[in-house]
Parts: sequence; structure tokens; C-alpha cells
Amino acid sequence: MNAALRRALLALPTLFGVATLVFFFIHLIPGDPVDVMLGEAASAADRVRLRAALGLDRPLLEQYVGFLVHAAHGDLGRSLRDGTPVSALIRGRLPATLLLAAAAGSMALAVAIPLGAISARHRGRWLDSAATGFALLGASLPNFLLGPLLVLPFSVWLGWLPVSGADSAASLVLPAVTLGLGMSAILTRLVRAAVLDALSADYIRTARAKGLSEPAVFLRHALRSALLPVATILGLQLGSLFGGAIITETIFAWPGVGRLTLQAIDSRDYPLVQGCVLVIACGYVAANLLTDLAYQRLDPRVRFGRREAR
Amino acid sequence: MTASARLGAVLVGSFLAVALAAPLLAPFDPAQPSLSENLSPPSLAHPFGQDRLGRDILSRIVYGSRASLLVGISTVAVSLTLGTALGLFSGLAGGWIDEAMMRVIDVLLAFPGILLAIAISAVLGPSLANVVIALSVIGWTGYARLVRAETLSLRERAHVESAIALGAGPSRVVFYHVLPLLAGPLAVQATFGVAGAIVAEASLSFLGLGTQPPAPSWGAMLNEGRRFLLVAPHVALFPGLAVFATVLGINFLGDGLRDWLDVRMPVTGYGLPAIKKTSNE
Amino acid sequence: MAALFIVWTATSGCSGRPRRTETLVVGLEAMPTDLDPRFATDAASSRIDDLVFRALTRLDEHQEHVPDLAVDWRFDAPLSVRFQIRADATFSDGSPLTAADVRATYESILDPKTASPKREDLAFLESLDTPDDHTVRFHLKAPFAPFLEATTIGILPRSQLASTERVRIGSGAYRIVGVTPDREVQLASRAEHRGIREIRFRVIPDDTVRALELAKGTIDLVENAVEPENVRWLEGHSETCVRRIAGTTFQYIGINFEDSHLRDLRVRRAIAQAIDRPSLIQHLLGGAARPAGGLLAPEHWAYEDDVKKYSYDPAEAKRLLDAAGYPDPDDDGPAVRFRLSYKTSTIDSRRRIGEALQAMLAAVGIGLDVRSFEWGTFYDDVRRGNFQLYSLAWVGVSDPDFFFTMLHSTMTPPRGNNRGGYVDPEVDRLTELGRRTLDAAQRQKIYAAVQHRVAEELPFIPLWWTDNVVVQSERLCGFVPYPDGSLISLTTAWLLTAPNFPRGTGSTPCGCGHS
Repeated sequence: MNAALRRALLALPTLFGVATLVFFFIHLIPGDPVDVMLGEAASAADRVRLRAALGLDRPLLEQYVGFLVHAAHGDLGRSLRDGTPVSALIRGRLPATLLLAAAAGSMALAVAIPLGAISARHRGRWLDSAATGFALLGASLPNFLLGPLLVLPFSVWLGWLPVSGADSAASLVLPAVTLGLGMSAILTRLVRAAVLDALSADYIRTARAKGLSEPAVFLRHALRSALLPVATILGLQLGSLFGGAIITETIFAWPGVGRLTLQAIDSRDYPLVQGCVLVIACGYVAANLLTDLAYQRLDPRVRFGRREAR
Repeated sequence: MTASARLGAVLVGSFLAVALAAPLLAPFDPAQPSLSENLSPPSLAHPFGQDRLGRDILSRIVYGSRASLLVGISTVAVSLTLGTALGLFSGLAGGWIDEAMMRVIDVLLAFPGILLAIAISAVLGPSLANVVIALSVIGWTGYARLVRAETLSLRERAHVESAIALGAGPSRVVFYHVLPLLAGPLAVQATFGVAGAIVAEASLSFLGLGTQPPAPSWGAMLNEGRRFLLVAPHVALFPGLAVFATVLGINFLGDGLRDWLDVRMPVTGYGLPAIKKTSNE
Repeated sequence: MAALFIVWTATSGCSGRPRRTETLVVGLEAMPTDLDPRFATDAASSRIDDLVFRALTRLDEHQEHVPDLAVDWRFDAPLSVRFQIRADATFSDGSPLTAADVRATYESILDPKTASPKREDLAFLESLDTPDDHTVRFHLKAPFAPFLEATTIGILPRSQLASTERVRIGSGAYRIVGVTPDREVQLASRAEHRGIREIRFRVIPDDTVRALELAKGTIDLVENAVEPENVRWLEGHSETCVRRIAGTTFQYIGINFEDSHLRDLRVRRAIAQAIDRPSLIQHLLGGAARPAGGLLAPEHWAYEDDVKKYSYDPAEAKRLLDAAGYPDPDDDGPAVRFRLSYKTSTIDSRRRIGEALQAMLAAVGIGLDVRSFEWGTFYDDVRRGNFQLYSLAWVGVSDPDFFFTMLHSTMTPPRGNNRGGYVDPEVDRLTELGRRTLDAAQRQKIYAAVQHRVAEELPFIPLWWTDNVVVQSERLCGFVPYPDGSLISLTTAWLLTAPNFPRGTGSTPCGCGHS
């Protein structure tokens, strides 16, 4: 419990760092939200007025401190465009992002576990290379290609699934598969490595000696030992998905936080960008935290001493 | 060497050869458009077909390998150097310096990579060099963590402790004891890092950042090709195959390298074979 | 976890919610930024606003103002225009539309606290008054010919304008039922309207996905948002048809007059003659554009055809560059006379055009550095004059007074659109005169002179007028594309229901035989 609290507290400086980084980045890159909002025909007086109304004419440091103080209280400010509270805008997108992350994660596991197991089982033979090759195919094709390549057969030719949007549960399938295939590459290799490791470990030999059949040995012991590192990495990958699914969200018109961030950047909507990045960072930090905690609780070796040199 | 490692070596070797000998191999000028022949499918004169401006795709793939090679190697070189230096420093110094370094790494990883890339290109302008910068700013963290972890555990090893006890200064410790042990995992990590950078370049080109026309890069070609998937799939197919073959080759080679060096790669969160997009989608 | 996922997707049905045959689905590239007419500046918002908000006037196919809410208008004093408002207009909440609403809408825009981007457009207005319930008078500060430009702003109910919220109630044929940010806008037809009951505008950012949705039949209409190659692909599909009409969107190359090379007229002319517009149009735009001689398209009432034209002539371009004092160091070899930077956004088709231009200019010895920037940065650079050459398009230019904000020497950003800093006393004089002259025939002469001058001096290099390309489902009937892209004809269109609509390519003209 102590360790958990400590880890959670350590997250605070991280979030502070992220907040600082995003604030200065977004304010220092070229582009002015007032220009975006008023277009070209507005008078100088109008610009000055709008800038003042939005609080953008205060000294940068003062705006920075204001942002931090409000954020600490959970107030992420209001969108420059129409004054909607940033937290409301983000809250509207969070479910879609979480849903996509969960679905993509499941998809990744559904691919990685069998492929990795096959790879390990037939290590060194062509099936091993083929399985790895397939996993790498998903890894080397960018999502903006993989997406439409999946849409063509499954949505247009067969008509099974919607092309894009988020109207129904079926709309989740293609984006999740697209994202999941990319994530599965690393996971497949991990499953393979972990299973191989486990297969040569002492307690496996004991199980075999005890007379357990080969498939049982494989499934019950080897595979289970792979779950821990896989869960760890999957947790980290999911943490990155908050902001990392931007391309998939754009292709499939999936209303997630990533796309909101991109649009906010386009219109230089400072509070919205800051809010989105903070939420994305929180997601990452939370995923990391949970993963670490799960790892600590589940790995017997780690429980009893962190510094075991491997 | 296993069969797959051999295949990997062949693929990587071909990639390097093509990149280095590009002017000799490309049948056409990669930047020469021929508008009337745009999107022509593969033919005898143009085995890979022609792109949106009628340029020969085979020649562009051959020259594009240079951009990929450059991005891959530069990103890894910068990330590796920076990451190793900072990881060593962090691991050896320990205490609050180490904690601070870990926080810096956390901040960089929690920050969405895409935004970082956009910000960098907005401030510095779009170019391949800036792609390398954008990728390295996040990339060094993987190496730093690996090096730090190994440094921390190596510090307690017997021979290192005795070396310190005998009065060896920190640089001696580093160069004679720590670095040689790190060389293995770092080499493997770097190999996979090249593959990751090549794929990340494609994703950044989706946002329009990266090589500027008319310089070809596989990533830009993939991005261009996605618009024509319905009418001219060959425009995306061949760069896609090129990227796939290269990534496959690098991964197989990396596997072989790891087996040969008999390196145990720590698996928990750091020191991961960085194959692809976790934060830089 | 995996098992749950499989079960859940299997039980959730096949392709989304059931299609109602009275619903038309329109595909958009991007979410409209703001539907409130006081703030709507992007194309998507304008398209939707055309259907929801009526204004005093609207534009017809010749970009001329025709009555909408105002049945007529005339000057009853040199600086006072009287608009007669129709008596039968109502808002979607049932309340009648009166002159008070018109006045309240304009005053809201004029109010600095509203921060409307259209405020400056109303700078010519001294005040408004309402002599009676169906009459509004505009009082102008000075004679200002383009005053009708300001009459296409949608009218809002006075009662809604009291708060600072965005207003969604209008007097158009459709009303806004729902807005889901970044996903869709739903319109429903008002009770007395027959035809299409419901229109959904769906946001689909990716071009290929839009084409696939059209092919599948899940969206029915996309205007100017399908790449030429995908249009070709869709033409082969039996359930969609493609319509092209001449458009008014003007694509051009912007020039920075701070640059020493570009200041020389011979260099500008050389660039104009080095570009093979027909080839670009045919090969990169799928033929969906017309080479442009100037800002105004031939359909425009003020269009002047008798101006200097620049044909594709690389030899002449080289001669001009030589004459300007920039010899080619190696006569057709790779070395260039001088380099210019060309900025563009990250939109793929724009980059492609930039690359083609690069090759064409290289052929006459000018080195073009094509750099693409993220939109915010690009637009900012253009506005700050931080460029040498760039390319953009002007959409929806209706009054030729636009020449004023585009070329008058005082209209450099942030005041106006003279981004290149062009200074020409003749153009200044003419455009000022054009604003003050109320007689239509005289204005036509003035702007003919402007177009003449502009074609001679090339403050920007005209490229083409893009056609309006509409891809629609064959079940949509009676839709007429407008040159400026307006979707207003949807108010008189209708949808065929399943057994009746024709299958097979080309058997029935697109739009059910109505033009």
C-alpha cells in the first residue's frame, strides 16, 4: 500500500511536467486563435477586444499559473471557440476512446496469444517464422492503410460492418481490429519469448515428470507465465492509446479524444489542447500505475525483492 | 544462424545495397513527372507502375530507401547516444538525480507524440531532419531506461564493487565494466529501433511532416497511395511491401543477433524491442 | 475478455441503425465549426445554414442577389435602403418573423461584445431602423455599392438573441434537431414542407472512406469532397451518379511583392506562362476545372472576357526571364536561375499540385522549393506575409468589391486579404470607385477595367475555377447543384423509395431526369 501511494504521488510531478510542456508548446508555436476565430476581415480593435475577453492578453506567466491553479482544482477552462467547458467536451469523448482501447486490447490479445503460442511451440521451424511474419505485417503497415484495406472486403463487398462512424456496436469492430493488429506485433513476440522461457524452467520439468500431458503442460503452466509480461506491456500500450489512436480515429471518424486534440491544435484552442493533453497524460500515468501495481502483486519473484538481477 | 536470421541478413543487406547504390539501380529520375501517364499500372517499362504524377515507382522506392535508411539510422544514433549517456548518468548517480530523470522520461512518454511532432515541425519547419529530431526526442527514453536498469543492477555485481573498492574512478567503471555488458542489449534494441523509426516516418507523413517534395520516402509514398487504394492500389502496395520486407528483415536479424549474443532482454516495461507505434502512432 | 467481445459484436446487429427512406445522408469532410449565422465562416457551416436560416436575399446561379425574406428593396434616400419583408415567414418555433428580428440580428453582429467575425463586414452601416413590422431600413455611412453582400446573413429571432448562447432557430425549410460534436448534424423538415423529411450531415474525414460509404449506399450525397480518382471509381457503380457543373471557386498562386524577383512583372508573366494549366486540370483534377483568366468566373454578371490571357509557352517564359536579367546558368540543365519557396498545407492534393508546379518551373529554370506545413502554421505564415509563393482558393466570391479587400494597398493583413502587399494606385482608384458607384452598368465598366489591369499586372497568378462535383445516390431526385456549392435545392428535392428507383448505369439521368 505504501508503494502504491508512493507511485501515485510520483505521478504528480509527471503531470506537472506535462502541463508545463503543453502550455509553453502550444503558446509558442505560430498561429493565433483570435485570427482563427475572427478570420481575415476583422478590425484590429475587434481582435484586441476578443483577445482581452479570452484572457489572452495577460502576461504568459500569469496565464500559466492560472492554468495550473485551475487544473489542480479540476477546472480545465473553457474552449476559446464557444465557451463550452473543456472538461465537458473531453468527457463527451472519453467513453468512445475507452471503448476503442478496450476493444483494441482484446483484439490484440486474441491475435497475439495464439500466434505467440504457435511460434513458441514450433520454434525454429517455418511456422514460427510465418507467425512472426504475420504479426510484423500488422506492425509495418501504417493504420491509415490497414484501415481502408479492411473496410473494402468487410464493409463494402460483404456488407457485414459499417464503414465508419460510431453509430452501432458493429462500428467498433474495424477500428478495433486495425489498432489491435498493430499492437499485437510486440505482444506476439512477448508471448513467444515468455512461453519459451517458461517451457525450459524447472517447474515445467517437474510437471512433465509428474506425468502431465504435453498440451496440459503447455496451456496450464507455460501460457500462464506469459500472461504477466503480456499484461504489463498491454497495459502500457493501452495507456498510450488515448493519444495514440489519432490516425485510426480520423480514418474511421471515431469520436475519440485523439481526434479532439488534433482539431484543437488546428484551431489553436489553447485550453482545449491543454486539457486534452493533460487527460491523455493522466490516462497514460494511470495505466502505468495500474500495470506496475498488478505486476508487483502478481509476480512472485518481484514481491520478494526487486533487485534480482536476471 | 537460423534460417530466419539468414533471411533477415539477406533482406537487410539488400536494403543497404539498394540505398547505397540507388543512382545505379534506379531506371528513371525519381522526380521526373509525366502527367499524362499518371497512375499507370505496372508495365514492362515501369515494373512497379507510376504514381500520381507519372513518376516511376520503382525508382522512387530505390531512392526512398535512402530516406528510410537515413531516418532509421540517424534516429537510432541520436537516441542511442543520448539515451545511453543519460541512462548511465542516472544509474550511476542514483538518488534524487535518478528520480528526476525518471520523471522527465515519464513526462516525455505521457505527452502524445503526435503533438510533439507537430509542434517541432511548426517551429522548425518540415524536413527529414526534423522528423529525426521529433522521433529522437521520444526515442532516447527506451535506451535510457534499459541502460539505467542494467547500470543499477551491475553496480552491485562483485567485480564492479571490487573495482570501485580498488579506487577506480567513475569513467573507468563505466567504460571497462558497464558498457561492455550493455553492448549486447543495446545492439539488439538499436536494431529494432531502426525498424520502428522507419514505420514511424510513415505515420508522420500522414500529418504531412517529413520529406519535402520531390524527395521520395516510403512513408510519403504510402501516404500518397492510400488515396488511390480503390483505383490504383499499386501505388501503396509496393512501398508497403518495401517497408514490410525491411522491417521483417531487421526483426529477424535482430532476433538472430540476440540469440547469437545470448542476450537476456529484460521484459518489464523498459528495454523492450521497440518494433512499432506505442506512443507515436 | 475475448469471448465477451465476440459475443457482444455478434449480438449487435449488422450495419448500424435502420435506414429510413425519408432520410438523406450527406457526407462532410469536417465538422462545421459554428452554425450560428453570426459566426459561420467555413463552407460546411454555410451549406447547412442555407437550409436552416433564411436571409434578406440569397444568391442565384449567376451570383446575383434575389429575394428571400425581403420581397424587394430600394433606395428611398441616397444613403438609405428600404427592405420590404414578407409577411408569411415564421421561425421554426412558430413565432412570426418581423422587422424587429432582422434589426436585432444585425445589431447583435454589430455589438462588439458578440465578437462576431462578420462585424467588420457591416462597417458600412450607420444604423438600422424599422418603420413598421415588415420594413427595415439600412442607413449607410457613405455610398456603398456592395451593401447587398451583408444581406445573405441568416436572420435570428429577437427573443433568442438576448442570451450569449449560440442560436439555432431559423426560418428556413429545415430546423436543427441535433448537433453531435465531430459526428453529425441532424435537420428535420418543418411541418409544412414536403420532400425530404430528415437530412443528416455526417462527418467523415477520410476521403477513401467517404467514397466507400457512397459505394455502399450509407451516404447519399457528397459535394466537392471526393478525390477525382475516387470519383472515377464511383462512376462505375450502379447506385451512385456523378454530376459536374462549372463552379466559381478560384484557385490561384499568391505572390509576395517584397520579393525582388517577384516584383518584376516579367518574372510573374514568365511563371504564368510556364504553367500548363490544361495538363494539370486533366491529369490531377480529373478534368473538373476550367483554366482561369481571373478572379471572376464567366457566369458572373461582372465577368470581363477581353483581358490579357497567358497560355502555356515555356519558350516565351524563358525569354521573359532572360529579359528580366536572370539568365539560365546551364541552359536546360539542373542549375537554376533563382529559387523561390512555395508554401502549401499538408492536404495531399495540394502537395501534388505543388510538385507538378515544381517540375514545370524547373523546365524554365526556376527552382521551386515546395514546403508543406500544418494548417495553423501555414495559414499564419500566409497572413503574416511570411512566404514567397503559396496557393489557395477563394470560395464564394459574389460581389466584385472583393477586389478591394484583395488588392487595395491599405488592405494588408490584418485589415484585409492583400497578403502579398500589392500596391497599385490604378487598382486603388478603381476599387474605391467601384464601392461608391451604385449604378450596375457603371460598376460593370469599372470592374471590367479592374480585371483588365489585374490581368496585365498579375498581382496573383490565376490557375483555375474548380467545377462543382457532386456524387449522389440515384435515389435522390430534383437536386440541382449551384455554382457556389449551395445545397439550397435540397429544399425542393425528394427521395425515391426502394422498389421505384432505377438500377443500372446511365439508364436514367442523374437526378431523375430533372436538371
